Amino acid sequence: MTYTIIGRCARTGRLGIGIATFSITVGRYAHSVRSMVGVTISQAFPIENNNQTALRLLDQGFGAKATLEHLKTNDAFYTYRQIGIIDRTGASAAYTGPGVRGWCGEVAGENYVATGNGLVGQHVVEGIAKGFLAEPDADLEHRLLMGIEAGRDAGGQGTITDHKTERSAALQVYSRDPYPDIDLRVDLHEKAVDELRRIYIEYKQYEGYYRQRGEHPRDAPSQETFMATLQKAS
Amino acid sequence: MTFSIIARCPKTRRLGLGIATFSIAAGGRCEGIRHGVGICKTQAYINRGNDLLALQMLEQGLSPSAVMKSLEASDPDHEFRQIAIIDREGNACAHTGSGPRPWAGHQVGDGFVAFGNVLAGPHVIDGIVKRFVANPEDALEFRLLAALEGGRDAGGQVGKDGPLPERSAAICVVSEPDHPDIDVRVDLHPKAVRELRRILEEFKLYEVFYRERGKRPDLAMSQGEFVATLAKRQ
Repeated sequence: MTYTIIGRCARTGRLGIGIATFSITVGRYAHSVRSMVGVTISQAFPIENNNQTALRLLDQGFGAKATLEHLKTNDAFYTYRQIGIIDRTGASAAYTGPGVRGWCGEVAGENYVATGNGLVGQHVVEGIAKGFLAEPDADLEHRLLMGIEAGRDAGGQGTITDHKTERSAALQVYSRDPYPDIDLRVDLHEKAVDELRRIYIEYKQYEGYYRQRGEHPRDAPSQETFMATLQKAS
Repeated sequence: MTFSIIARCPKTRRLGLGIATFSIAAGGRCEGIRHGVGICKTQAYINRGNDLLALQMLEQGLSPSAVMKSLEASDPDHEFRQIAIIDREGNACAHTGSGPRPWAGHQVGDGFVAFGNVLAGPHVIDGIVKRFVANPEDALEFRLLAALEGGRDAGGQVGKDGPLPERSAAICVVSEPDHPDIDVRVDLHPKAVRELRRILEEFKLYEVFYRERGKRPDLAMSQGEFVATLAKRQ
């Protein structure tokens, strides 16, 4: 049981993923993005090397649909996987095998895939897509988080009578650099999506400072000095 | 303000990194670790390009000290960095420039580097090393965790206005090309090292279940059933 949004920003080409699940430490299983190449997720019964295999295929130039076909050919238990892929052009492909449990499925379009399993119903992935698409001009990390929160608010995982909480969540966005622009995680928490929002808000205050002190260390104030300016501002 | 350890397990050749710091989401800035290649971690004032550049040079076969010379040559602010490098054979070197805030320093041992800045003093590094070498038969992830706890217990980070808590922490261990073995994170917590132990211990309960359900989904029990077997065991 998991719900996920993978997305590409049409304006900037940035690529990212937001994911929330009952399983713990989901970020370990969601090294899903390669800058300027693509984004992918294998979930439900994920085979651990699928994400990197998909990213290498995308890097070689295969499109999202061809990459999905390769994953199918390569996997004896393909029917147990749930997979989403977006390539560098924004084309998407998605698959939910018949072996995946609970309500499961996806909504996919240009530049996004909202996908999940063990969910209370179709309206969860529809909610995720709607949340993601609501503010197309906003930063990708904001849109991904809006998607995940919409999935939570639509009921998330489990069934109407047996809700399963999100115990872990992750948010990752890459731009042109080979390292992430933003990479935040909650590995074990009783309300992981709420906690991810808390960390996101806090991190966004520091993001520019952390970048600046690395690029211009000679002029950098100490973190304590920087935090004093935050307290004044709030 | 950070204390870290990078290490190679001589028995298994696994590579691992442990970090704890006052800054938030430090685990999102630790991409410099690759199976079969080595580890580079830059801290204090981070040049984000450094760690991946170092991995590329290690992959070409350059030694850690040769890599360090190249990093120095390509970075006008090298004096503001604190950098530790280890290769796939366990050869290691470190650099603490004059720029990082005191106390800052490192200790290079047989197959590991312990290093930090804005610390209570050199005894913090001693505390890290002492706990790391205490139980060489333990799994690398637990040796790294013990090392971070040793750094914390020796006084950890102290800025000009007094002690600073660990707000984020992470452990990553690799032995495969396509995914980490262990990848646990705490991004924002008042006692991040203690929380990291909670998460690592919990993850170790699920580690095999998560791996096996991907390899043989046709035989996998549901996570609900698995969680029930954990509850019985306790």
